[in-house]
Amino acid sequence: MIRRVVLAVALLGALLVPQVGNDYYVHLFALVFINVILAASLRPSLTCGQLNIGHSGFMCIGAYTSALLAKHYALPFELTLVIGALLAALVGTAIGYPSLRLRGVYFAMVTVAFVEVIRLIAAIWVPLTRGNSGLSSIPKPNLLGTTLTTRAGQYYLIVALTVVTLLILWKLEQSRLGLIWKGIGMADHLAQSLGVNIAAYKLLAFMIGCFFAGVAGALYAHFIRFLFPPEFGFLVATNILVYNFVGGRGHFIGPIVGAIFLSLLSEPFRGSAYETIFFSIAMLLTILFLPGGIITLPGKLAGFRWGRAASAPTPSPAG
Amino acid sequence: MTAALLVQSAVIGVSIGSIYILMALGLTLMFGMMHIINFAHGAVYMLGAFVIYYVFFQGGAPYFAAFLLAMVLLGAFGYLIERSIYRPIKGGIEPTLVALIALTTFLQAAGYPVFGQLDKHVPPVFEGTKNVLGVMISVERLMIIPVAAALVIGLYLFINKTRLGGAMRAIEQDKEAAALQGVNVDMVNGLAFGVGFALAAAAGALMAPIFKLDPMMGEQPLLKAFIIIILGGLGSIPGAILGGLMLGLIDSIVATALGAEPAFLLSFVFIILVLLFRPTGLFGQAT
Repeated sequence: MIRRVVLAVALLGALLVPQVGNDYYVHLFALVFINVILAASLRPSLTCGQLNIGHSGFMCIGAYTSALLAKHYALPFELTLVIGALLAALVGTAIGYPSLRLRGVYFAMVTVAFVEVIRLIAAIWVPLTRGNSGLSSIPKPNLLGTTLTTRAGQYYLIVALTVVTLLILWKLEQSRLGLIWKGIGMADHLAQSLGVNIAAYKLLAFMIGCFFAGVAGALYAHFIRFLFPPEFGFLVATNILVYNFVGGRGHFIGPIVGAIFLSLLSEPFRGSAYETIFFSIAMLLTILFLPGGIITLPGKLAGFRWGRAASAPTPSPAG
Repeated sequence: MTAALLVQSAVIGVSIGSIYILMALGLTLMFGMMHIINFAHGAVYMLGAFVIYYVFFQGGAPYFAAFLLAMVLLGAFGYLIERSIYRPIKGGIEPTLVALIALTTFLQAAGYPVFGQLDKHVPPVFEGTKNVLGVMISVERLMIIPVAAALVIGLYLFINKTRLGGAMRAIEQDKEAAALQGVNVDMVNGLAFGVGFALAAAAGALMAPIFKLDPMMGEQPLLKAFIIIILGGLGSIPGAILGGLMLGLIDSIVATALGAEPAFLLSFVFIILVLLFRPTGLFGQAT
């Protein structure tokens, strides 16, 4: 019950942003929601125990695909979005399929190399992407025949797709599939011995994640309307990972809380060196002192108050 | 490409390769013992270069004194990181990797306010050029080769001839068995952090007079070192040396022929293929 009220309030708050705030807040929260999609879409892979440090590479694919299709072929947004996301998923499959037998560090290194490859391709392929001068004047999203010209309209599009993405990912995690993912992450040999085709399920988790990273990329491309290869580098990929670790990996709400919390909190430093300093300190402190992430904080505090700090149960997260 | 240009690229390739080897050795040593990839290695390289900038250039100390100081300071820093980050996480590989990434981004980002926004330059330590096989190479770049070689030989002797080196090899083979034989695993892991950091600092200190200094300067050598240890097989020291020389040569020759970014791209594509089809590396043994 409390959970539903909190969710309804959060959604209402998100919808009210363009009514009560100016363009600055619309812009800020639009980016926060794109980060939420990115963070949540990394979760299936992480649940299976795969450390993907290249998620921004798939975002990059979705962003450039959607932007170029809309710019050069004037395709509507609903089409460019899906094509961009599918291409990201396809590339994800191509990378994910052969790397399934890699575990832990090896998989992480493939994804690090991958994000650099994508960034370098975007930087070198100048005739297509305009390279490091950046791809500019990307059309505004044209949805079902109408162009969303206002900032608020584009913002609602992002909110709507964030809600849809989260619902899909949540349903997946609640389903049998989510249980299998969790099982693989906890003990993959055991899962295998029970007859689970762990390779297929890991690949599925990775593909789904890449697909929604592509969605986030397309939304980003048509909202910011300027793409620049270094914005999809290793650092962004690590930020997505940070959202998951700082928010908490124990529950679906973790990456969402992490993305909102860190994006809003780092906002005053955005663009300066202090943003990264802030991020890295938050990450180090969380890993060292709050291994379960922010979502375990209320429980720890409550436990502390009642004098059973050590064995405080994980709370059902709210908001 | 003329013969002279080829020889010049080759010599410069060996010199760059020596830097890569110093970077890769620490990474592979730490991986062999603790199964972690030290993402902070590039930041340590950067700090090594800045020690040269402040102690040698600004402070006026002799170059080799500054060089040794960089190795000692950052070696101690490595030991501290083992104590304060690796050890508390108790061997959880994913949290350790993420914590090391956090440390890296922290050191890089903090570099801007601390060292200033502008690129720094260290004046040449060794002036002049030398005739090598008919082409002129700057002494600065040539000097890297013997210094790196001395460090590699030193590391080899340390690992193979001393008791502490033996303890490192024991941990690499079997941590529990080593602990049962009375090896202080925590202390020796800390030592490996120290040695790895000191080698990375040495690489940065050697490069300081050649390249410009900025907080992000460690990224490229770090990624190169990743490539090398994958090529050579994670945990393999001879593999790191061979891989470093190979990559240095490929880098220098391909970059001269095609340009730096395509060369970098090619090496990453190559590495993804190696990882996918031969994860133990080109020279590593299948397990």
